[in-house]
Parts: sequence; structure tokens; C-alpha cells
Amino acid sequence: MLIDVNAWLGTWPFRSLRDNTPDTLVARLDRSGIDKAVVSYIEAAFHRHPQSANERLARDVEPHGDRLIPVGTINPLSPHWEDDLTSCIDLGMKGIRLFPQYHNYQTDGAESRSVVQACAQCNLPVFIPHRLEDTRQHHWMDPGQSVDLAQIANLIAAVPDAAIIIPNARPLARSPLWMREDLRDLNWYFDLSLAEIHYGLHKSTNAMKDLGYLIEEGGAGHILFGTHLPFSYAGPALVKLAILPVDEETLEDIKYRTAAKLLNL
Amino acid sequence: MLFVVLTNHQKLSKLPIANLQQLVKLTMILDIESGIRCPKIDMHCHVWLMDGWEQSADHLVASGDMLGITEYWCSSVIQQGILAPFEDVPPHNDTILRAMARHPKRIRGWCFLIPGHFQDAIDEAERCLDAGMIGIKLYNQYRIDDPVLHPILELASERRVPILQHAGYPVPEHRASQPLISHGIHFSEASEKYPDAILVHAHIGGGGDWEHTVREMRQASPNVYIDVSGSNLDDGQVEYAVSELGVERVLFGTDGTMAGSVGKVLDADLTEDEREHIFWTNAERILAQQGATPTEPRTS
Repeated sequence: MLIDVNAWLGTWPFRSLRDNTPDTLVARLDRSGIDKAVVSYIEAAFHRHPQSANERLARDVEPHGDRLIPVGTINPLSPHWEDDLTSCIDLGMKGIRLFPQYHNYQTDGAESRSVVQACAQCNLPVFIPHRLEDTRQHHWMDPGQSVDLAQIANLIAAVPDAAIIIPNARPLARSPLWMREDLRDLNWYFDLSLAEIHYGLHKSTNAMKDLGYLIEEGGAGHILFGTHLPFSYAGPALVKLAILPVDEETLEDIKYRTAAKLLNL
Repeated sequence: MLFVVLTNHQKLSKLPIANLQQLVKLTMILDIESGIRCPKIDMHCHVWLMDGWEQSADHLVASGDMLGITEYWCSSVIQQGILAPFEDVPPHNDTILRAMARHPKRIRGWCFLIPGHFQDAIDEAERCLDAGMIGIKLYNQYRIDDPVLHPILELASERRVPILQHAGYPVPEHRASQPLISHGIHFSEASEKYPDAILVHAHIGGGGDWEHTVREMRQASPNVYIDVSGSNLDDGQVEYAVSELGVERVLFGTDGTMAGSVGKVLDADLTEDEREHIFWTNAERILAQQGATPTEPRTS
């Protein structure tokens, strides 16, 4: 079993994506040997009021209910977002995505904390993608910002009962999040889409690895499998999965067990 | 690397060809394990001038062992566009020469130069190439079409060695820190003047509008290449380079993104023959032009 916690449907305004419909994404999952994938509509990041995108998502993944796991999008600046959250739960959403850099609020501000607290009460994980696209190539109409991991650390500390997943982050082992030892036992997670394991550009012997250090320092429990399909190739995450320096039990956790638990599957 | 799972063979011969092709396509599965074992030449990586370079070189080799990388073409460079005095350059190259001696079957060298050092740069290139390095590495001190590079392009053409140039088309706020970074158009212009020079645009995934910089190289000489390295893993990137430039002009490199770069080539919509060109054959052909061969023969 392999669960991808980081996949998408829909249109990215600045570049054509392949395999971005339910049918074609499922075919890509088949080709990649991935059993299930967490999906949201990309457009929801650009909508001021994303609930219509959530409703469309629920309808569109319904024929692929055994493969695609819908995750709704909440904009805490949208009036009565609490109603959207209730609707998402009714629609069968298994989590909530937040886009502070697109909906224009502080990652560790009151708006974020309110949504994360509400999700924690409903036992829903919160996904905060570190970035959607590499900021070094962003279109002038795209904010071109990554989420500040130090702010995510503050958010986790403020709502310690929440489960927070930060896909697309790199680097990890020396990130503000992992460096805060008070957070190490809380429920936050990275994915395999971007971070390297054994080797990275480095100028000292203390920085030769990334995920390798995280694992050596006891952080393997924070790792999930995620690809960022169809923005990114699935191959990089699959290669990392094949060479992760973890035991078989931990590998099964990374492949699906932790994700299944978080998503209440 | 694709593994084709065919079931119910006895019925396949009765299917119309179009249906058969569709069936085969639908049942193709990425075979990551085989892809990892496939031999690879990493033509873009680094061993840095730093305390503990030995440990860094050993770590590079061990990391690549897990991914089928048999040899690494390494440089140590002065970054951020710094126009350092010439005396600062040879220690970087000496580090690479030592790494080559430490791992003679695994590490090869790019000679780093700052072209504005004129004759000193040429002399340094001759020293390093004579000592066994296989190419010249340039960073962002000058664009590759700057006339100050002409003596280096002439030397590289004469000796049939490649030039690997740091490159990309980042957005303006990221370009501000490296205003003289080269992108595709500069390679096209340099190759117009020196069509025999073997020029490599570094890291398609190094950050920036990769479609822009690749499109700019449509008119470049067939001796202009691009490597697949970099932390940007956008789906379709490798296929785009292949469609614009041809598979014989796309090279495998990592530049620190080791598993990511292997994964993007394995997942690209290419034939096995095309993948082998990127992982091995194109680099082998570049070596052959200077009379060299891979340090180890391709084993499978």
C-alpha cells in the first residue's frame, strides 16, 4: 500500500500540467505504483471563496472514491468559513488545505490558528504546502512566496493538538521546525517530494545530508510519502522511498500507515 | 525504466493494434529498482574547498553508489559572482585534483576559471587539463557570450573539452544576486561564434523559467547541451529539453539533488534508449572527443 499525501487536480495558470484530471491522475498513479492520493483543486488557492471548488472536488473524485482522497480548502478570510468547514466534513473531505501566501494572511496569525483549532476538534489534518511552484520561476501574477517554516513552527506550538502536514519543504533537518526541540513529539509531518536524503549541496561536513540527518536524529516518524503530482514527477519521491535508511516497520509507516491514521481511512 | 506487465497473453494477438498499444500503455509501471541499478555518469557535481573535503568526497561516492552512479564530474567554484584574485582559484582546482587522486575510478574534474584572469586563466586550464581534468567550469562572473571568454572557448575547442557554465533564467528578484548569470540566448550566441565548442548549460532545474532558457537554445549549435540537475523537479522538464534540443543533447547531472535527478529521468516519458543516452551515452560521447572513456565500462 502506498498513499501519496501531496497530489492535485485542476489547472495551474502559469504552465500546462499533464495528468491533472481525475481519470488521468489515476492512470498516472497506476503507472507510478501508488494506491491512493490526497487531492485538492489547485484553483482553490486562487479563489477568494474556495467552497465552490471544494464542492466540485467532491463531485469529481466520487467515481474514484477508492483512489482519490479529497481534501478541502479553507480561506479563513472568507466570511463564515466555519460553514465551509462543516460542509467539507459533510462532503467527505479527509483534511483541509491552507494557503497563507495565496489567501494573504499570516501562517501563525489568529486566522490560521482559528482554522487549525477547528480542524483539530474535528480530527482533521491540516495541509500547508510549503510552496506550489519553485519561487525562482514564478510568474509576475503569482505571489512567488514559500511559507515560512518558522511561522509554521509557531502555529504548531500554538495548537499542539493539531496534525499539520507541510508538503514540498526542503531542507528539513536544519529547518526552524526540526530545530525546535519542544515540537519534536507533536503531530507535524513533511513529505518526500523535494527533500534529499543522503546528499545535498553543502559547504561543510555538518550539512552533507538532509533527510538522512533527520532520520539519524530520530525524526523518521515525521516523514510521509508525497509526490506533488502533477506539478512534479513522482519518480523522485519513489527513488527516495527505495533508498530510505529506515527499518521495514518505519518504511511501512512512511508508505501508508501514518497517513491512513491521520486521514482516518 | 518501465516494466511492462502483460496478462492474458493468448488473447493479445487478437486485439487490434491500437487497442494493444493502449493496453500496453495502461499497464506500464515504473520500475524504480531497475532504474536505480542502471549505470549513470553524473557530469555535474561538486567537492568543495573546505575543511573535511575528503569526508565530503567519500560521502559523494557512497551516496551515488546507492543510485547506480559510477563516476562524478566535480568542481569547486567561487560563487556569488565574486571577481576573486587569481591566487584564490588554484586552491579550488587543487582540491579537485586531490579528490581525483583519492577516488581515481570515481571522481573526475572540471577546472574552475574566472575568465577575466586572461593568461593566468588559460595557464590554469592547461595545468588542470594536463593533470587529467576533463573540462572547464565557469560560474556567474561573466556570461558565456562575453568576449573575455574567447581565449577559453578557443582552448576548449582545440582540446575538445566541454565547458560547463552555471546558467538559468530566474525571475528578476532572484537574478539581482547574480546579474551576469547566463541563459539560453547567451549559449546560442557563443555557439554561433564557436560552433565547435562543447558548451553545457548547467541545471535545467537550477531555478528559473526552464522553458524560457531551453527555447532560447533552439538555434544553438548541436554542440550545446543542457543537464537535468537542480532542485526543481517539475513534471515534463526532461521531455521538454529532449523535444527542443534532441535527446543527444541532454546530460545527466545532479548538483546536489541526487535522488531527485535520478527520479526525474526515470519518470520522464522516454524510451529506454533515450534514457540510456541521458544517463550514459551522451557523456561517453563527450569524453570520446578528447580521447577519454568512462572510468568503468557500462555494465548493463
